[in-house]
Amino acid sequence: MTPSPLTLTVNGRGRALDGVPDSERLLDTIRWRLGLKGTKEGCRSGECGACTVLVDGVSTLSCLTLAHEVDGASLTTIEGVADDPVGRTVTEAFARAGALQCGYCTPGFVLALVGLLKERGWAAPTDELLQDLSGNLCRCTGYLAIARAVAALPREAP
Amino acid sequence: MTADPRPDTRPKLDGSAVYGVDLDAPGMLWGALVPAPVGHGRVRSVDLAPARALEGVVAVGAADLATLLPGSTGDPDRPLFPTETIFYRNQPVAAVAAPTRELARQAARAVRVDVEPLPVVSDLEDIFPEWPGPAADGSPHVAAHVRAREGDVEAVFRTAETVVRETYRTSSVHQVALEPHACLAEVADGKWRVRTSTQSPFGAREDTASLLGVPEDSVIVEGTWVGGGFGGKGAALLEPYALLLAKASGRPVKLALSYREEFQLGRTTLPSVIRMETAVSGGRIVARRVRLLLDVGNSLPGRDFATGYSIGFLLGPYHTPAFEVEGYAVRTNKPPFGPHRAPFAPQCAFVLESHLDHVAREAGLDPAAFRASHLWKEGDRTPLGQPVGPFGLAAAFEKARTIAARWRSEAGPDHGVGVALGFWSTSTGAGGEVQLTLSPSGLSVLQGEREIGSGSVLVGVAAVASRCTGLPRDRVAVDYEDTSRAPFDSGVYGSRTTAALGRAVEEASRALFAELGKRLGVSDPVHLEVAEGEVFAVAGTHRRPVRELFTESERSGGGLVTSGKHYGKGGEIDERKVEVGAFYPYTDFTGAAHAVEVVVDRGTGTVRVLRYAAVHDVGTVIDPATAIAQVEGGVAMGLGTALTEEALWSDDGRLLNAGLLDYRIPTLGSVPPIGVTFLDGFPGAGPFGAKGLGEPPIIPVAAAVALAVRDATGAHVTELPLSSERVARALKLL
Repeated sequence: MTPSPLTLTVNGRGRALDGVPDSERLLDTIRWRLGLKGTKEGCRSGECGACTVLVDGVSTLSCLTLAHEVDGASLTTIEGVADDPVGRTVTEAFARAGALQCGYCTPGFVLALVGLLKERGWAAPTDELLQDLSGNLCRCTGYLAIARAVAALPREAP
Repeated sequence: MTADPRPDTRPKLDGSAVYGVDLDAPGMLWGALVPAPVGHGRVRSVDLAPARALEGVVAVGAADLATLLPGSTGDPDRPLFPTETIFYRNQPVAAVAAPTRELARQAARAVRVDVEPLPVVSDLEDIFPEWPGPAADGSPHVAAHVRAREGDVEAVFRTAETVVRETYRTSSVHQVALEPHACLAEVADGKWRVRTSTQSPFGAREDTASLLGVPEDSVIVEGTWVGGGFGGKGAALLEPYALLLAKASGRPVKLALSYREEFQLGRTTLPSVIRMETAVSGGRIVARRVRLLLDVGNSLPGRDFATGYSIGFLLGPYHTPAFEVEGYAVRTNKPPFGPHRAPFAPQCAFVLESHLDHVAREAGLDPAAFRASHLWKEGDRTPLGQPVGPFGLAAAFEKARTIAARWRSEAGPDHGVGVALGFWSTSTGAGGEVQLTLSPSGLSVLQGEREIGSGSVLVGVAAVASRCTGLPRDRVAVDYEDTSRAPFDSGVYGSRTTAALGRAVEEASRALFAELGKRLGVSDPVHLEVAEGEVFAVAGTHRRPVRELFTESERSGGGLVTSGKHYGKGGEIDERKVEVGAFYPYTDFTGAAHAVEVVVDRGTGTVRVLRYAAVHDVGTVIDPATAIAQVEGGVAMGLGTALTEEALWSDDGRLLNAGLLDYRIPTLGSVPPIGVTFLDGFPGAGPFGAKGLGEPPIIPVAAAVALAVRDATGAHVTELPLSSERVARALKLL
């Protein structure tokens, strides 16, 4: 059976993809069809969070999502995150706090945090944000610089 | 916008940093390895025909090597594919490549591997249930044997007031770099070219050339951004296979491990059994005996460094007038042992600190005072006879004890505080070189490493160059090239990078200033300044734009070039004390004292870490922000070793928990605040007296946690990790 075409808005741009197999993970579509390698492949089983992207503003593990599940949706990846004021604020907070070392988990953390802020708003308590980020793994920083970046976020829309 | 604290901030925040897993090339094939189906066995046949029958699939096995590598014998000790014996489960027995990753995996599964199973020996205590006697030297299970002694230990033990004998066990831990190993290979014009996520492009080149049996200068390695290394990406792993597939197919070949394979094939720390015996009289250690059985998996005889090096960390940093240390590296049917951040030192510190604490209690002495009174200081000699250099461990211990005393005074029931020590040495490795280019607008440092995350290359080397030349940090760029163009460096490991490359930068800077002084015609010391966007050479009253000092060819070629190198070496040990095997001297002496407060759940044995203080002797701090980041990250990793991380191997050589749910690393909620203190005044082997800091922060962590658990509950746990189950057993809950 020929898979139906897939229509996505990716970082604000409309994209139509043909021939995406029904079984293809969104992670692979993003990385290998759209060429957006900033979305990182870690465990491919939902354990590390490195592949987190936003699907219609909601943080989503792209390794556990089939591309066809999100047909018609709007995707945000690390390449487009700074186009949005929330994304830009988070990115700058990470930069200023030095909240990255090898950088491999960083896109997933940034997208997960942007998704949380969109969901909860700027007034969300830091502790709750950190609790909900704890599904993202980092091996370099011990999470402390990441926590400092979260704590340094503005408490209202910048 | 203020300047980023790290120069790699932007590419890592906008998705443009290309890691090994991200590599691709036009016409690229995907590779996959065919795993051995048993932990030990004899190869009857490997039939590639079913894989080759799939459209577009290329397959290579042992039988193809003569065609693909004419005239090469490879490395006879380390054949790329086993022709007779399989030594560990998932050992590559063939490799395949296909136009898609899915097809490559399907092809790998299609290969028919016929094996006669042999008995698997997975547990080193099955091999040596008793301490090996002299006959063990001929055993195929012994990869290394080391022994050193001083004095008549047995006689001292017979007459000592207190003798304590204990056995400790430590578990297998994995690096868990979030990026799995990955590379992209191309073969053209007689060159074997591979781009790879590696801690050591030159090490990967040497290793790849040796495994393929081709000249080293025919292999070109280019590093990518590295998604974490921690020792796991120091040697070649996938590169030879990707190159073989590229040669066979005539196409670029990408080879990347799945995370499951990363656990299964990565080289890391394996289990150990350690026997500690200490004799005390009059409040002093009078003799010690240390025996180590270290599982080294399928490591080859003669290639084991870990045993001779790490056994020193079971003796020191404490004085002992008489000792006997003996260690065996034991071959088992597991992948070869590999380095994991401060290889085996955290395990040694756990054993040593727990044991000496216990010895003091048994002898009726104050444990901390007992340890403090035996610490090495500058000018002392190590048990193996090496003079101790500047060493801040005693000062660090004092500082950490002060912090711990305050915490203890505030601690509630079931809370405990522990203070533990660790020491290390800044490796120089096989040396390193840099090339400096001074241009009219700034300085570039050309070298052969890629940044692995610690900041040791992009921040550390730049900071040293800035400090050497007086140029601000934003005028210094650190560049890299592949191994055919970059100056040699031995790799990002051993806490060496900023120290060793920094020393090379110092030498190149001296050459630069000597040349500038000559051109200025002055004998005054020269320094550089930036004004109106341009670099000036300044000496006394002389001040000229550097571009005016350049020759015509320098002006057109980018600037004035100088180079520097650093091939440091360690001190010397007293070889008369060595009876068997190799022990190794230290380059410098780096110390850390850590204090931790825990609370132990009396019902489950679960340990929660509440606060943490790390006091480090680092010589001179080169960049405070990255130094603190190294300590935070190292402590967090150490908490994993201490509490939850344990790779479990079945009797038939299977890794039972090859995934991040079952092999649990610290998560965001589990790492406490960490106070970091750096002690000045104890210079080391690096530039400006700096000492390496990549590894020391992980070393005392498990020891400190174990002592805190004992403080909280009285439980004396002699195995790592201190999982809820082990603590519960120690508390007699199970």
